Amino acid sequence: MDQFKQKAIEEAYELIADLEASLLVLEDNSDDKNHISKVFRIMHTLKGNSAMFGFDYIAEYTHHIESIYDLVRNDKLKLNKDIFDLTLNSVDHLNLLLEDVNLAEEANKTRHTAKLNELIDFVKKINALIESGISFIDLDAAKTPKEQAPIENVVEPVKPVEAEIIIQSKVEEKTENIVVEETKEQIISYLITIIAHKEMLQLGTNPIFLFDDLAQLGKTEVYVGIEKDSVDFIALNPIQCHLTWNVILATSQGEDAIKDVFIFVESDCDLEIKKIADDNVFDKSDAQTFIYQILETTSSKSLLEFNHSFEIITTPVVKEEKKKAAIPTVKATVTEEIAAPVEIKKVEKTSTAAKDAAATSIRVPSERLDTLMNLVSELVTTQARLSMFAETSDNTEVTAIAENVQKLTRQLRDIAFNICLVPIQNLLTRFQRLVRDLSAELKKDVELYIEGSETELDKSMIESLSDPIMHILRNSLDHGIEMPDVREKLGKPRMAAIHIRAFYSGANVILQITDDGAGIDLEKVRSKAISKGLVSADVNLTKKDIIELLFLPGFSTAEKITGVSGRGVGMDVVRRKIMDIRGEVDVDTKPGAGTSISIRLPLTLSIIDGLLVEIDTVSYIIPLSVVDKCYAVEHSRIVSAYNNIIVLDGEQIPFYYMREEFNCSTPPPVLAQIIVVRYEEHRIGIVIDTIIGEYQAVLKPLGKMYKKQDMISGASILGDGTIALVLDSNKIIKRFGHQELV
Amino acid sequence: MGKTILIVDDSASIRAVVCFTLESAGYEVFAGVDGQDALQYLDGRKIDLMVTDLHMPNMDGLELIKVVRQMDMYKFIPILFLTTESQESKKLEAKQAGATGWIVKPFVPEKLLAVVEKVAR
Repeated sequence: MDQFKQKAIEEAYELIADLEASLLVLEDNSDDKNHISKVFRIMHTLKGNSAMFGFDYIAEYTHHIESIYDLVRNDKLKLNKDIFDLTLNSVDHLNLLLEDVNLAEEANKTRHTAKLNELIDFVKKINALIESGISFIDLDAAKTPKEQAPIENVVEPVKPVEAEIIIQSKVEEKTENIVVEETKEQIISYLITIIAHKEMLQLGTNPIFLFDDLAQLGKTEVYVGIEKDSVDFIALNPIQCHLTWNVILATSQGEDAIKDVFIFVESDCDLEIKKIADDNVFDKSDAQTFIYQILETTSSKSLLEFNHSFEIITTPVVKEEKKKAAIPTVKATVTEEIAAPVEIKKVEKTSTAAKDAAATSIRVPSERLDTLMNLVSELVTTQARLSMFAETSDNTEVTAIAENVQKLTRQLRDIAFNICLVPIQNLLTRFQRLVRDLSAELKKDVELYIEGSETELDKSMIESLSDPIMHILRNSLDHGIEMPDVREKLGKPRMAAIHIRAFYSGANVILQITDDGAGIDLEKVRSKAISKGLVSADVNLTKKDIIELLFLPGFSTAEKITGVSGRGVGMDVVRRKIMDIRGEVDVDTKPGAGTSISIRLPLTLSIIDGLLVEIDTVSYIIPLSVVDKCYAVEHSRIVSAYNNIIVLDGEQIPFYYMREEFNCSTPPPVLAQIIVVRYEEHRIGIVIDTIIGEYQAVLKPLGKMYKKQDMISGASILGDGTIALVLDSNKIIKRFGHQELV
Repeated sequence: MGKTILIVDDSASIRAVVCFTLESAGYEVFAGVDGQDALQYLDGRKIDLMVTDLHMPNMDGLELIKVVRQMDMYKFIPILFLTTESQESKKLEAKQAGATGWIVKPFVPEKLLAVVEKVAR
């Protein structure tokens, strides 16, 4: 406390400076309400603080000024020159008090006594006037202050008593403990009946704390009841409190200690404390019967039932209800209904409890996770530099350290990733509602099934997925699923099903949305695309090509534009959004049997394991997750290959020659490398110059200028500061593979 | 996780003492200088208890309590107010506004902690 005294004194000086400023304003305009309440507040704060920090003289002195200004503030007293001078004088005196807070100097003490008396006299005078029944005192108008002087001896000093209270409250605390010790021997038993008012919970009161506090006083048993008259289970408002409690307490602490427990809730409940025995009831041989007898007498009127708090809740309820025929039977059934969901909840809890038991979790603000991820990214980059430096220096010790740092960084990176993963459940459950509402709107019967909701994804990805999935579901509900009658004719169940499955596949998470609706009419898509001029009529299109048309901007097959979907911002938006998070969208459809849309997503966004390669002295990174196998092939074989197909391990593999695609003109190396990557269900080769090695790449987005290109999904800074572009093999294949289509 | 307490008082030294006392007891403390200022902390973050003075400029304690009791997220949090008045009227007024309990100034740190314990644990 002492370290704050200096601060309190400094603050007091500031307050007094403010006070002076306000007084100067009031001198010109004695009716300025703002400044009157400001003076009051300053006095109030000064008083409160001084009492807090033990400046009792200041506390007492300011208390009187405060009470004067309280009257002024409440329009009971007119601020006149006398009051004004008195306050201004007090400013000087307060300054003196602050210099010598304990009045150590005799001269100061005498002066304080004089000042205080002067002030008290003044307050007495005003109080006398108030007691005489004047509602508004104007000292100038009433009597001259001098005439008032004789009264001072007559009137009982009211205010000083209150000042004493301030000091006393401190003393009380010290004596409290002593009292407790003296009475410790005598244990008395009480029955405490608490009938909560309905709004008790709305005032931030937690009744459980009350019982905890009571338990601190001695042995307790709590019996819960419901207020009979007020409970209507059907219209039950859970924020209202309808409970009553009977507490049996055996304590040595006396009734005042019990009342102290309820000090804040006195006005929020009906409280009754009754002595039931002069000794500890729990020590009696027939304690239980005795307690039940007592409860019988109290609870008969207000309680629906009571039960032992530690017994299973159902048994006493049944007993009670048999006893009390007056209770309508409806209530009994209602209780059953309520009991059922509770039990289900319990089962759920135990199943998840097993999982939770092993791993206790903490909540962390997401910005901290973002910071962590950023720092790990920076660390990975820095570690790359260190490794590079270690390689070029001939110091084996540095190399060893660098290797160790690399290992640790990798582990740290993996853990940081894991932390950022959240189950996809939160995202998917919100679609239950969407499907329900939409199917009602469209008058279709649809059930949504969710599988694999425990699959985890980077939290930043989950948010970006919401819109695309919503689009897909809307499409499916609106265009895919038939009306119930149509379904029946087709021999399908009236109730359509949409499945959302989430599962891991290598370094990816796959989200599959499948419906059992009509599927996509490929012929319709084709003719529509032709009529819109998206393709010419004489092109031969495969099923895949036609599906690809769905993703073209501005394509919508809906015959009518409905409120649900079909505004022409369909699948192209879905694909773009998914691509933004480095994912892919695939559509498969069987006419009459349904459509399946797969979203393939990378597990994480910011750091990838990549294969660092070189094409014409420029570094590129190919995500390791797509790489299947690497082959070294003589360059001449590549150039002479017919139709860009090469036989590797006895398998024909189409390849793309990057030097050609990138228009590199420098002489190629003798030995070229073919990286075989998986593309959908095919294996496709990418021909590059040299492989440098595995590399942890921290993905940085490219600038806005490169937004239009789609072969490069990002860039990474290498250890020596050069930039490596991250090749998106899928897009490269699409781009070069479908040239003839576009 | 530790409980988070929002204290609101226009007096810097009271804030300092209350902060110090509560922080030493392991609470996380935010401090507002008046009701208006305190609202910035009621932005969705977890607040387990609010302790407010009653007389403050801009927005006083009573008004602050009423505002907080209207906020969905903080509707049910315990609210204590600091008071020097031992008059029942002020207590009643604050309780009607929605306060849970009170702390009478002056108080010693142990008493503050005891009252805080009473409503938030």
